[in-house]
Amino acid sequence: MSFDGCKTVVTEGDTVILFLTVNQVYAITAEKKTKNKNGDLVPYVFQTPYGALKGEQLIGKEFGTKILLSKGWGYILQPTPELWTVALRHRTQIIYTPDISMITLQLELKPGSVVIESGTGSGSLSHALIRSVKPHGHLYTFDFHKERADIARQEFQDHGLQEYVTVYNRDVCCNGFDEALDGKVDAVFLDLPHPWLAIPHGVNSFKPEGGRLCSFSPCIEQVQKTCLKLREHHFQEIETLEVLQTQFSVQTRRLASLEMEYLKNPKEENDGDNKCEKQIVSTLTAIPPLSQPGHTGYLTFATMPPIWARSMKTIDDLDNDDNEN
Amino acid sequence: MEDEHKITPGRYTILQRQGYTKLYKVKENGTVMIRHFTVETQNAVNAKFFDLFQMKPKGNSRKMCKLERVTSVDDDIKHTGGSGNDNRNIIDDGTSQTLTKEQIEELQDGSKSSVEIVNQLIANSKTFSSKTGYSQEKYKSKKQKKYYEYIYFRKPTIRILAQMFYRQDPTKVLGIRTDDLSQILAYANIQTDGKYILFDSGTSGLMTAAILNAIGANTSGKLVHMHPGNECQKVAVQAMDFPQEQLSRCINVNIYSVLRCFYQNSEENMLKRKLPLEEEEVVQKKMKLDDDVEEGIKEVVVATEEVEASNKNEVSNGKKTPGWQIENAKACELLREGVDGLIIVAKEHPASIVKELTQFLNVSRNMVVFHLLREPLQDIYIDLKKSLEFVNIKVSNNFVRNYQVLPDRTHPLVNMNSGGHILHGQKVQS
Repeated sequence: MSFDGCKTVVTEGDTVILFLTVNQVYAITAEKKTKNKNGDLVPYVFQTPYGALKGEQLIGKEFGTKILLSKGWGYILQPTPELWTVALRHRTQIIYTPDISMITLQLELKPGSVVIESGTGSGSLSHALIRSVKPHGHLYTFDFHKERADIARQEFQDHGLQEYVTVYNRDVCCNGFDEALDGKVDAVFLDLPHPWLAIPHGVNSFKPEGGRLCSFSPCIEQVQKTCLKLREHHFQEIETLEVLQTQFSVQTRRLASLEMEYLKNPKEENDGDNKCEKQIVSTLTAIPPLSQPGHTGYLTFATMPPIWARSMKTIDDLDNDDNEN
Repeated sequence: MEDEHKITPGRYTILQRQGYTKLYKVKENGTVMIRHFTVETQNAVNAKFFDLFQMKPKGNSRKMCKLERVTSVDDDIKHTGGSGNDNRNIIDDGTSQTLTKEQIEELQDGSKSSVEIVNQLIANSKTFSSKTGYSQEKYKSKKQKKYYEYIYFRKPTIRILAQMFYRQDPTKVLGIRTDDLSQILAYANIQTDGKYILFDSGTSGLMTAAILNAIGANTSGKLVHMHPGNECQKVAVQAMDFPQEQLSRCINVNIYSVLRCFYQNSEENMLKRKLPLEEEEVVQKKMKLDDDVEEGIKEVVVATEEVEASNKNEVSNGKKTPGWQIENAKACELLREGVDGLIIVAKEHPASIVKELTQFLNVSRNMVVFHLLREPLQDIYIDLKKSLEFVNIKVSNNFVRNYQVLPDRTHPLVNMNSGGHILHGQKVQS
């Protein structure tokens, strides 16, 4: 229940983020009982690397406070879409925060916007989209996988977001988006193996004043086909980019410094050991990881112009290679 | 509804010529510089956004243009001379173009359209026919881009403003690239019902506008915008044309002034200073009136000064509290309650600002600090680690690459740039 707005105290049913270390971030539900494999209600206990945590223990605690475990402690935080992206259970490949934030900014979302997403996947992006458009806007999210759509629907319910989102189990490439949405949306997001098949349907969904489209594809061939299709359908400002984030590890490194000053003086018989003394210098530095993802996906953005300018022929290339005056 | 998409006098628009964008405030009989032409925009007034206009020379003047409404771009470039297989026979001796520089300039200043100019250039090029098909296309699009004379107007959005400022001059926005902006907003977790503090030492109003935009219209979210100078920059805020209701939830205060108010004004003083509701409204109305008068004269309106000026008379009468004090009092109230997000975008070393402002952040809420340099953020990282008040602290930066996507000619763009650095973390009870 804890995704909608700013909350200070954990109530029953809330999803809580348990933060142990940067690499140990978990999502736990503050509930007394849960169903086991056989469908029986049993007390909800979450096993952390530092000991067991009963779901019940969380109820009434304040977000941002310390929680004691048998072998250590952690902090409980109110979930944000970014924390959720780190903690969620992967049902598919997911989109991460650097791409997600670029998508929400470039789709020009704001409270009140109506946005289409396909496919829903594990709901990593969906949570960020909902945050951007609520309370007056709406997310319509489509997945052709029935179980995934069902789980996502339940998850939005559990997170208290159900009034801002509608989940469809539908193959948008074959059947398009809901006709009831025609002329009603501000933005369309596609994360599909064949996005070019969904683009003609997406065109119909845009409001008369137009909007923005984004397609996320891992392969350049998909991007090429998508861009051709976008041009064919009179999209403008077609732009493809990729974003990669490097997270640094900030450390104070102690480095040895060689002493060579004494070499300028004649060698004295007695103190032969002096030269071995090494100085240590401390330096503050930020180190990138030894290895990190070098590719996530290409983001292709485009503008659907308003209805009165759709058939207009223009040459709009966002090629910034040429410096404009 | 209709008016929302109309180019009406007094409103800010984005003037777009291909990839080039410019912020332009529409005037009944205004002019705007595009390339080396002074363009009269009279004919665009009351047209719609995205309506296409062609720049046409006005009379015999070589520098004056007017706009003419058209329905499509003429790109009928003629060439029937075939093309070559490769460039083995093309020698770059500077003689392939038989038109002289002066002749080309004459073409530009005359009444020729971009297509006519490009056609002339091609007709007078000795080597064009031996260029490969791809090379010909590149030449055409390059030349056509140079002489392109079509523009349209559109409604400003955060994306367009961010891209425009960064392209014009990254220092206008303290080096915040689009990806940086997007991540600052995401990590700050801007919710429509939250209260936020922004410290901004000069992003042309972009950060304020972006946060206000995310808070939204007809919501309960609030923003305290702290700035270090006498005036706060707000071009982007004005460009976004937010409704008054939304704008009034952004409190612009000088950081020194508001902190002095916070530390030195006792609660008692605060209460004494707090005006009855009607009086406050009168002051606000007066502020608005002054705003209207000033509009069109200045692009960057000085928030605090303006308020101060409007209240000078009243102060001398000994009746009312100056507007900036009301803003300070309002801000202090929010500071006492604690906020749901702290965003610091500074050109100064942000350590002292972080140290001062984190006290106002509620626990389980996020702080985001942006700086062009990484070293100041490293210092803050160490400070925060020592304080035990923050967890999940991360310092990051982005690699962003744009692509040209064309059949058989897909590759990354030749030029790229490097963005700034972001530190973010969550406050906890230590």
